[in-house]
Amino acid sequence: MDGKRQHHSSFQQLEKLGEGTYATVSHAALISVFKGRNRQTGEFVALKEIHLDSEEGTPSTAIREISLMKELKHENIVALHDVIHTENKLMLVFEYMDGDLKKYMDNNGERGMLKPHIVKSFMWQLLQGIHFCHENRVLHRDLKPQNLLINNKLQLKLGDFGLARAFGIPVNTFSNEVVTLWYRAPDVLLGSRTYNTSIDIWSAGCIMAEMFSGRPLFPGTTNEDQTIRIFRIMGTPTERTWPGLSQFPEYKANWQMYATQPLRNILPQIDEKGIDLLQRMLQLRPELRISAAEALNHEWFAEFHQPAHPQQHHPQQPMMHPHRGYQQHTVPSQNVYGNYQG
Amino acid sequence: MTMAHMKNPLATPDQIFHRSSLDSPPTELRDAIFFSTQCLTQAAGILLQLPQSVTAQANVLLARFWLIEPIMSHEFSDVSAATLYTVAKIGPCPCTPRDLSNVYAYLLSSSSTFLSPPGNNPPKNIPDDYYQSETSYQAFHSRILSLEHLILCSLSFDTTVSLPHPLAITYLQSMDFLYVPKEKITRRVVEYLNTALLSPQLLCLTTQPNGLAVAAIYNAAKDLGAKMPECEWWEVFDVDREDLGFLVVGMRSLEGWVGGMMGEEGVLGKKKRGGMITRKEVRDILGGDRPPQEEEEDPEVVMARRMDEKMREIEGDAA
Ligand SMILES: Nc1ncnc2c1ncn2[C@@H]1O[C@H](COP(=O)(O)OP(=O)(O)O)[C@@H](O)[C@H]1O
Ligand SMILES: [Mg+2]
Repeated sequence: MDGKRQHHSSFQQLEKLGEGTYATVSHAALISVFKGRNRQTGEFVALKEIHLDSEEGTPSTAIREISLMKELKHENIVALHDVIHTENKLMLVFEYMDGDLKKYMDNNGERGMLKPHIVKSFMWQLLQGIHFCHENRVLHRDLKPQNLLINNKLQLKLGDFGLARAFGIPVNTFSNEVVTLWYRAPDVLLGSRTYNTSIDIWSAGCIMAEMFSGRPLFPGTTNEDQTIRIFRIMGTPTERTWPGLSQFPEYKANWQMYATQPLRNILPQIDEKGIDLLQRMLQLRPELRISAAEALNHEWFAEFHQPAHPQQHHPQQPMMHPHRGYQQHTVPSQNVYGNYQG
Repeated sequence: MTMAHMKNPLATPDQIFHRSSLDSPPTELRDAIFFSTQCLTQAAGILLQLPQSVTAQANVLLARFWLIEPIMSHEFSDVSAATLYTVAKIGPCPCTPRDLSNVYAYLLSSSSTFLSPPGNNPPKNIPDDYYQSETSYQAFHSRILSLEHLILCSLSFDTTVSLPHPLAITYLQSMDFLYVPKEKITRRVVEYLNTALLSPQLLCLTTQPNGLAVAAIYNAAKDLGAKMPECEWWEVFDVDREDLGFLVVGMRSLEGWVGGMMGEEGVLGKKKRGGMITRKEVRDILGGDRPPQEEEEDPEVVMARRMDEKMREIEGDAA
């Protein structure tokens, strides 16, 4: 019990990259993300520091994030290198990325709008990452530009698995407080508790529209407002267009009826095939939403489907990745991570 | 669909073997501790109204933890509480440290019927027995949090557990049995699976969920005289005959083993007092030939050390 602290000596902390809060049951534990440098290798890393809550101990979000991320190894998912823990802090050591998609749009977009070939490359990578999660039965549940990390090779990786969770069968006991409002699927807004992989696809659709237009597609302020904003564009559903609709806890018989607007009028920047894909991702009914695997096969991505062709625009394009599953199948014999001093 | 998520980390033969050398009590006693502690977790889960799946996962986590950490290094009931707390926290219904503390105080008091010999009169309920002073709550709370930390670290945060229960239900749906209604079989299957969690043979750490599910179905159907499909149906679920045979026997042996252990000559039966076994009792049984382990540290010393650490941390920040 000598309370040796490794992290300050092995990592040099550089500037702060971001700050957020981890929601816990009764408190909010502050987390901060720093850029760091491994003193031995000189390699940059991102250090996510999580203070342990004096009432609840290790935040559940941190436990989930670590337990899922250490298994999810994919080029479109930010790699967790290590976890260092001390008495009152956890430090997650991630591969370093130059920023998140929000910052990237602010700094590189034209009024936030990204060039079509960049959007396509980012969407391809985003869907690859989502597909890998879903194949490994993990829902991300909080996809938004701030949680997608970009490096200067224009690689995009999913980050922040604090709300993610593994799902088995059946999938019906989730709390409904997930996914930032703007990217939240309509079925979740309506109080569905049996949602599945389709919630991540909805978020991806919102992000695609935002990259093209530079503005969030549905910037709602409350649950109610969020729902109405979606209906204003996608049309108000009815029991006829969505059987079972009236059974949702948040169903209102007096919703204002909006007609469906053609997405191409709202997003004239997007080509026809892109609109078709977007339309399939933004289906109100979760069971009609396209899956990540199907989306990757959509003809909008045709140029990525022939790996033989050189891709001038996308030098860093990841190929369809052979599936790698959970790999560790034994109970660890010693601490694989970190240096607990108990 | 990938089956990756249906898999659990398994114990290595080395780990199973080394259990007995980790400064551990003799096998018989160790198994009794394991069984009692797992039962305690299940009882606490019921009182805390946690879903059965949460309690079951806590059972598996505890078994994993004791593969790594010597069984005598922490009070057994604390390990039970900490694993249950952690699993509940990452699931859909977290419980507060306060509720946890109250439930364990009750279960460990002489007013509770937990593991009391079946013949005896139910104990008198004396609320003072399980009244918790603020000091003892604080002490419990800090023990649980530091254990949680230790558990997460020693398991490398490997907290996901795939339970065999949902698999067994899915398998049952695809099978036809003659003579016995499926609900009856299902109930028996779940009983077998829950019992397997208590088993000191560590079935849940040596077998993947599909094997457990198939063995439980086999046993349940046998018990109830249901006619199973003629073919080698277990192969459909990726279980071979040899493994099935081993599991079937393992699952069935538990009942007899528990009877023996609780009986007059058994480890738990001989105990003077009913209820949860403690480290002190184990040391007494072992004849007190071991020095008392890790005396409580002087709070002053602990505080001084914390201050030192804090200082070093601040200096580190400045560097
Ligand atoms: N690996 C990383 N590389 C660079 N910046 C990162 C990295 N991880 C996180 N960040 C920055 O920190 C912010 C917050 O991190 P995140 O993991 O999303 O935590 P939170 O749970 O607080 O949202 C991100 O939006 C991003 O800007
Ligand atoms: Mg975030």
